[in-house]
Amino acid sequence: MLANTAHNWRAGVGGFAVVLLFAILGPSLMAQTGGRGALRGTATDPTGAPVAFAMVTTTSVDSGQTLPAATGTDGTYKFSLPPGNYRLRFESAGYKTVQIPAVKINGLWTVVQNCQLEADAQTPSGTTAEPAQKPAPGPPNNPAAPSLEDLGITPAQAKGDAKAQALLDRRTHMLKVHQRLGLITIGPFAATLITSALAGGKQTSSTDRDLHAILGAVTTDLYFTTAYFAIRAPKIPGTQTRGPIRLHKTLAWIHAPGMVLTPILGEMAFAQKSRGEKVHGIATLHGPVAIVTGAAFGLAVASVSFKF
Amino acid sequence: MLGKLLIGFLLLSPPALAGPDSQWVLDQSALTYHVSHPLHQSEGVSHAARGKGVCHEGQCDFLIAVPVKSFDSGDSNRDIHMLQVTRGAQFPIVTVRTRVPESASTSATISLDLEIQFAGQTAQYKQVPFQRVVQGNETRINGTIPAKLSDFKIDPPSLLTMPVKNDFPIRVDLSWHPM
Repeated sequence: MLANTAHNWRAGVGGFAVVLLFAILGPSLMAQTGGRGALRGTATDPTGAPVAFAMVTTTSVDSGQTLPAATGTDGTYKFSLPPGNYRLRFESAGYKTVQIPAVKINGLWTVVQNCQLEADAQTPSGTTAEPAQKPAPGPPNNPAAPSLEDLGITPAQAKGDAKAQALLDRRTHMLKVHQRLGLITIGPFAATLITSALAGGKQTSSTDRDLHAILGAVTTDLYFTTAYFAIRAPKIPGTQTRGPIRLHKTLAWIHAPGMVLTPILGEMAFAQKSRGEKVHGIATLHGPVAIVTGAAFGLAVASVSFKF
Repeated sequence: MLGKLLIGFLLLSPPALAGPDSQWVLDQSALTYHVSHPLHQSEGVSHAARGKGVCHEGQCDFLIAVPVKSFDSGDSNRDIHMLQVTRGAQFPIVTVRTRVPESASTSATISLDLEIQFAGQTAQYKQVPFQRVVQGNETRINGTIPAKLSDFKIDPPSLLTMPVKNDFPIRVDLSWHPM
């Protein structure tokens, strides 16, 4: 009886001690994790050697949000995640992809999920997804090594945006076409200006005028196609125009109306010449407008090509 | 019983006892990349880096992170193009990790092994020399990382069909102070 009482007393005190320790350490642990759970582990090959730079991706079963990380040189990885259920994926060149369908993260304890990667005969072993690299720093065995979250960078801030990247890719593609067409346009534009010397005056032949007109038409077509790719290139929200591109865009307010006016005035001058008349009236502005347009266009190209 | 409780407490509280020995925080920063093109040179600078160092058992682990889009070359067109070629929307943060023996923090010159994650790739740079200057409570680190576009699988952007050089050295100027 006495022994039983003593046993019950010890068990009661022991239980109380555990509860007390939880009460003391619980808030501390919660404070350390900030209500987030830790997931860590090591990726190894079939021999047990660590696999460096393997891509580890967590996907929240609840929200679908993915978070990538790479293993260090010692094969370890670490995530700090909100509590919930996650899928885990390990990928590395030369190894088969491993998927772990369910990992439960709570806000209190570190979950350890190791992964042994199996060699993949499809891809040559020894290749890695990484660039040619120099030796890596030492393994991160400091348990308190800082993370992005320690720097105040949330997973949402670190997460990539594939749509935004696609927008940037499309913008660059269109502006590259714009740039190339702009450079190509310089050729017929210069030729048109040069042949203008043969197209004007009483002595010029109809052939010279035709050549000038054809070159002008080619220039106009190329110019507006060039402009189309700049105008239709996606705008990046929140971008303030700064630097030489401002001059480049400002000059468009000169050469774009010029490229509309020049062919109209040219057509009028062409008709007057074809009737055997001297070019007169507003058509006399064809040459000066073309020169201003050409100068503005050339300066626009130069403004983004050279540093002044 | 009290002794058992004390032992139990001590056994269950190593995380509290094994905390970091000291910590550093990044105060001010200037990270400047340099790009060479046959027609001109350009630089982009960011002052938006955040960093922290944690020392434990004689080793200090440092992490520096900077948003790719925070680099400013003074030309919005170039900055957006840089963001595109470096896949900055997909991989918005550049991180630099390094480990330094705590004893090295007294040297005027330190050589660091750096691990840089950028554009979805990880590259290591071995023994990059940095100058260390202590001014009062502040420790200033200066140096240049010999980065190459190919290290991060970045296609060299081109202007007028001429590509930029593969080298894009990054000048680093960081001011740290102990927490």
